[in-house]
Amino acid sequence: MASTVHSDSDDGMDAFMDKFKTQRYKNAFSENDWEEEFNKIPMFMKNAPEEIDPQKYPELACLQSIIHDEDRPPEEQAKSLKDEGNAYFKEKNYQKAVVAYTAGLKKKCADQDLNAVLLTNRAASHFYLGNMRSALNDAAAAKKLKPDHLKALIRGAQCCIELRHFSEAIQWCEDGLKVHPTDKKLRELRAAADKHKRAAERDARKAKAKEKKLHGEKEALLNAIKDRGIKLVQPARAQRSGSDSEDEDERSPAAIAELSLDGLSSQEVTGAQVFVDEQGSLQWPVLFLYPEHQQSDFISAFCENSCFTDHLGVMFEELPPWDADRKYLPQNLQLYFEDEEKETLYRVDPEMSLLKILQHKRYFVKAGTPSFIVLVKGSSYCKQFLSGRKIHGL
Amino acid sequence: MLSDSEVAELLSFLTPSTRPDVKGQATEYILGLSGNRDGCRFLHSKPDLIAALFALTSDPSIAIVKDCYHIFINLSADETLHQVLVKDVKVVPVLFKNLLDPEYLFSDQICTILSNLTRHEKTCKILFKVLQEDVGMAQLVQIFCTEGYNKNAKLHYLGPLLSNLTQLPEARNYLMDKDRCVVQRLLPFTQYQSSVVRRGGVIGTLRNCCFDHAHHKWLLSDAVDILPFLLLPLAGPEELTEEENEGLPVDLQYLPEDKKREEDPDIRKMLLETLLLLTATKAGRQMLKEKNVYPIMREFHRWEKDAHVTAACEKLVQVLIGDEPEEGMENLMEVEIPQDVEEKLKEADAKEQEELEKEEEKRKQAEEETCSNKCTPS
Repeated sequence: MASTVHSDSDDGMDAFMDKFKTQRYKNAFSENDWEEEFNKIPMFMKNAPEEIDPQKYPELACLQSIIHDEDRPPEEQAKSLKDEGNAYFKEKNYQKAVVAYTAGLKKKCADQDLNAVLLTNRAASHFYLGNMRSALNDAAAAKKLKPDHLKALIRGAQCCIELRHFSEAIQWCEDGLKVHPTDKKLRELRAAADKHKRAAERDARKAKAKEKKLHGEKEALLNAIKDRGIKLVQPARAQRSGSDSEDEDERSPAAIAELSLDGLSSQEVTGAQVFVDEQGSLQWPVLFLYPEHQQSDFISAFCENSCFTDHLGVMFEELPPWDADRKYLPQNLQLYFEDEEKETLYRVDPEMSLLKILQHKRYFVKAGTPSFIVLVKGSSYCKQFLSGRKIHGL
Repeated sequence: MLSDSEVAELLSFLTPSTRPDVKGQATEYILGLSGNRDGCRFLHSKPDLIAALFALTSDPSIAIVKDCYHIFINLSADETLHQVLVKDVKVVPVLFKNLLDPEYLFSDQICTILSNLTRHEKTCKILFKVLQEDVGMAQLVQIFCTEGYNKNAKLHYLGPLLSNLTQLPEARNYLMDKDRCVVQRLLPFTQYQSSVVRRGGVIGTLRNCCFDHAHHKWLLSDAVDILPFLLLPLAGPEELTEEENEGLPVDLQYLPEDKKREEDPDIRKMLLETLLLLTATKAGRQMLKEKNVYPIMREFHRWEKDAHVTAACEKLVQVLIGDEPEEGMENLMEVEIPQDVEEKLKEADAKEQEELEKEEEKRKQAEEETCSNKCTPS
């Protein structure tokens, strides 16, 4: 009797079960792409897709609309957005986290604790994105809402340290320690900020001392030059005011700074500068010009006590390649310097020391580099060069 | 002194409802009494008067309150009155409560009273207990370190108060709690220019703390970094070589040419004593040697004129340039000194003291002579 009833359902069940043996069920996963398919099902997703296209991911879009349903109370919405932000944060997708937290804050819900957390978390996101100022602003806002919010206090201090505002960092730590006196992180941050601050102060003192030393050396140098009665001149283009370019009386810091003393205007970018050597003598960078061949020679350190013949002897020991006529022999050379203002050439006795020449009342050192014109005695070029010019012997 | 009936009458004047001018005269009279020893002794036997006076510190008339506080400053300066003040009249909790109030007008007077009450260990212990219960040492340090906490009071005397409190190991332990940031907040005040009281109080506190050599390692570590703060007041504008500079703690490198040293010789001596304390352990000695304390002391020695301070400096230098003590004697505070050696040391100390005093005398005489030469009206 009982079996009759059962046999009905059993038959149905059996038939149903038999189906599996013969028919494939619809919407089955296929062997080759079942993993991909799995990843599309919200429950089994490993990562969320960047964009949720309702056509491709209808279930996901559906879930989203439930989560972000505008009818839910703001606190709930904000909380969901916080969770969303946190999820992005975990994945190190800080940009998206910021977006989520910002949306949460926009809800302006009444739960200040939640808002403080949203701000603090956004601060953290900005921190990892390197946006220190935004991070600091958020931490400060969180602190305003909840002055005892530990994470905000720590984050604020960290931002200040990154921004190298060490005193501010210390203040954040002390404010924090008032509420959380035994917090290890705050203590450590304070010690670190204090250490950095004192190191920065030391660096400032060191720089100042160095600047002072440099300034002192520069002044000593200018004094040495002035004491010898040597006149310095700035090249015309470097003048500040339109006035006469004689620097001898200008000892103000501006003049000293302006006095570049290194190399000439264009060709010689040597960085060489006059200096006082160990014996207290000045060593000058000197330029020798050979207008005949448009050539020049540069001596980086010509001691003021040396005379020209010493140098010329060495320089023209071997005749230079441009001296095609082989006539630039040391004993044939004549030296001149030009007084630009009076358009006069002065002949230099090569047996004289550099110092003596520089002290000549019409000698002006231009751009910190004395220069001299070299001609070959009696050559046609020399005659041509000198004709029509005012010349003085020394 | 006063008869019993006179005392009773005086007491009746010290009520809030009394006419202000009568009240004022009464308090003025007692202020006069409190200014001398006999007066204080008399008041000691009249706790009712003291209690009434204390109640008057809430009086609406500022002049009366001011007088009352001055009376208490005088009373607290006399140790025999401490029991009465603290146990009978129970001034301490009220004083602390008012101290916490940033608007209170007489906080400086309170600080002086508390500082007086903590000078000797017995009362200090009682006070510390109340402090921990009502205010907490951390809050006291907080108030001390907050610039402008009270618009009407400078609170400099919290410095000596802290210094006195640290004669108790409990107070020192609290100040040097590794899990908190308390002693660190005091360090910048070793250079506080505007108040020698505050500065001296802080340095006294630090010196007391250094008696506990168990804390030395921590005090010298980065967590506290006490050393630069002790050296800065002793360092001068003299230029050191680049090598010497680079070995110094960061705060002492490249000091400007207008750097001034601590001007109070007692404070200079305290600083040197503190540094000497830090040389008790081997680790401490090593650190001080490594951080180039010697060149600082060398320049300091050249500059110092006071004989007592110079002696303290020389003691420190001896340790810095001397050899390490032999094994077993590395912690100078724990070395057992045999009886006869101890006696000889005491003798030597006494002799040194004598000589120092003689030198002081000579120097003072010399100064007076030159002064009298100069101080003629023109």
